[in-house]
Amino acid sequence: MAREEATGGGPDRDLMILIGLEVILMICSEWPEIKLDEYKGVWVGALVEEGEINEASLQLIGAAKELADKLGTYIGVALVGYKIKELAEELIYYGADKVFVVDDEKLAIYYPSTYGMAIRKLAEKYKPEVLLIPATLKGREMAPYIANMFRTGITADLTSMDIDPKSKEVVLIRPPFGGYMLAHIVTKTRRPVMGSVRPNIFSTPQRDEKRKGEIVKEEVDVPEPKGIRLVGRIPIKKKEEIPIEKAEIIVSGGKGLGSEDGFKLLKELADLLGGVIAGSRKVVDAGWIDHNHQVGQTGKAVKPNVYFAVAISGAAQHVFGIREARRVIAINIDPNAPIFESADYGIVGNYKEVIPAIIEVIKEMKQKRKTGS
Amino acid sequence: MLNIVVGIKWVPNTTLVNIDPRTGTLIREGISSIVNPHDLVAVEMALRLKNEYGGTVTVITMSPPSAIAGLEHVIGMGADRGILVSDRAFAGADTLATSYALAKTMERLDYNLIVFGQETIDSSTAHIGAQVASWLKIPYIYYVTEARYIEDRNIIRVKRALENAYETYELELPALISVAMHSLNPRRVSIYNKLRVKLESPIETWSNEILGLEKNCIGLKGSPTALAKIEMIPKVLRKNEVFKGNDVKKAARWLVKKLLEEGLIEI
Ligand SMILES: Cc1cc2nc3c(=O)[nH]c(=O)nc-3n(C[C@H](O)[C@H](O)[C@H](O)COP(=O)(O)OP(=O)(O)OC[C@H]3O[C@@H](n4cnc5c(N)ncnc54)[C@H](O)[C@@H]3O)c2cc1C
Ligand SMILES: Nc1ncnc2c1ncn2[C@@H]1O[C@H](COP(=O)(O)O)[C@@H](O)[C@H]1O
Repeated sequence: MAREEATGGGPDRDLMILIGLEVILMICSEWPEIKLDEYKGVWVGALVEEGEINEASLQLIGAAKELADKLGTYIGVALVGYKIKELAEELIYYGADKVFVVDDEKLAIYYPSTYGMAIRKLAEKYKPEVLLIPATLKGREMAPYIANMFRTGITADLTSMDIDPKSKEVVLIRPPFGGYMLAHIVTKTRRPVMGSVRPNIFSTPQRDEKRKGEIVKEEVDVPEPKGIRLVGRIPIKKKEEIPIEKAEIIVSGGKGLGSEDGFKLLKELADLLGGVIAGSRKVVDAGWIDHNHQVGQTGKAVKPNVYFAVAISGAAQHVFGIREARRVIAINIDPNAPIFESADYGIVGNYKEVIPAIIEVIKEMKQKRKTGS
Repeated sequence: MLNIVVGIKWVPNTTLVNIDPRTGTLIREGISSIVNPHDLVAVEMALRLKNEYGGTVTVITMSPPSAIAGLEHVIGMGADRGILVSDRAFAGADTLATSYALAKTMERLDYNLIVFGQETIDSSTAHIGAQVASWLKIPYIYYVTEARYIEDRNIIRVKRALENAYETYELELPALISVAMHSLNPRRVSIYNKLRVKLESPIETWSNEILGLEKNCIGLKGSPTALAKIEMIPKVLRKNEVFKGNDVKKAARWLVKKLLEEGLIEI
């Protein structure tokens, strides 16, 4: 059945392969031929933001380590940009064995095509087996472009990686339909094996100034940006707000809040506990809260001490983002809501009554503490 | 004049996908499909550009024929032409092979602007835009929230927001943009338009007989990635204690006490 259907990737394709359609190892004549066994090393394409290596890149170096160890190979980092040389050392402190640097004035401004091309040219020369790109907004924009230039595949938003013990193939793992299952994806005919990884899926490795590594300065032919020009840039002043992925307390709201106003109550509780607010995809889609506050498979993975899931049904895609939370609290009007199965403590009730009650209890306690009783 | 092509995808209405949380199995029955909501935003932007600067909006999708309903919906919104790219030979495509077939379709159209959605809700890769731009060798930019056409310079000026900056870019046409997911509210389709489109059924279907693409470059064969296996995600074990009773004040005390005892909150 699925075989009859033309599709743009995704679920049907996965089904087809599951029902046993062989992947035939003949390649498109428009693709350059490659020798698979020439490709060695696990690489990370590092992104520099406002003069600093972004944390997602450092996290990927940590993630690359396990894979590189299993493959018995090195960890490489492609560092491209302008006036970024000094950062190479830093990447070694975080675990890189070799840093390949392209420091070029033509990269003073970011364009997906020129940055993509610079990374591609480096990788073309040194032939890494694996190339990982942090899936920040720029990374998501650039990674598929790089993959296409290699005529290789790319796995978006992988959450873990492994080596098949038998075939020794690199397996990139991602949750396809949501948080219920994991798809193991291999790249049979092409290199590098490419993947993008959302920030905070992996934790930042320890910085170690004693680590030694090699810095390789490269000059590649960076193209002029073609047909695109940045004409204005206004930095967004970083609000002092803690990003949800770093928060210790998160009060998260779902569609059951009924309206944007519901978040006021959640904010009050969050403020009281020194936490932040977040939300499900439905509230992001409704425009009640910004996308960078979305928790879940297509949002962020969070690891707070306490996660309040308020008027959130508990879809697997949502729960996927709170696997690392120490305690999950469910507040839901429906005693049968699936969230209770993913929670440590639950209260059945209308959030409009439950949240004010919690706020009141906390305020009472604070008051008592102050008066010393 | 802007001759705009919009890429849309017909996706399962995943907000309705039910998965049995107890067994973790997918309940697939009765799942309807919709136009990827983020693509409706792309269509909306294309239609506004057309209204302002003149031109045409062509919508294409690579999909099984069921997606005709999606193309009809978008024509009901005001698009001029709908093309279904559909052939068994395209089946099983990963994003590389999908983007290849889409790009080859675009090449046959008289376009100067391609507009995509930010990502699809079923696979959420956000790959296809960059890949199509790469095949077509045209400039591209993602996360666009506003676009203006400056005809005498043959450029489009777009605004976008990243995590840490607002940016404005100028792209020479032909170019590809993908539209930030919540930047516009897509218009609704009137009943009159719905009926009109149904009666006219104006959708063209292009098979690989028309496109003539090499078999090794499309579908499953043209896809470097393959699914090796699927595994269920083990559930995180939680305490699952639910407060018994209806007294919210008591419930709140119970909860706060637990969190304090465990040292998880400070008061
Ligand atoms: C590929 C894919 C990726 C996805 N990624 C994500 C993701 O990253 N994050 C995410 O969150 N979702 C994601 N989703 C969507 C997910 O499947 C759910 O649709 C979504 O999480 C549901 O949001 P919700 O719980 O806010 O809304 P609903 O499911 O509508 O639940 C609302 C809840 O509120 C309760 N309620 C109503 N009124 C009250 C009240 N007064 N007091 C208390 N409770 C009340 C209801 O009982 C109900 O349980 C994804 C889906 C797919 C297919
Ligand atoms: N099968 C398809 N046919 C036409 N356009 C598509 C298709 N798949 C994806 N797109 C476009 O590419 C964008 C990104 O999709 P994705 O890479 O699947 O997240 C979508 O928002 C659509 O605009």
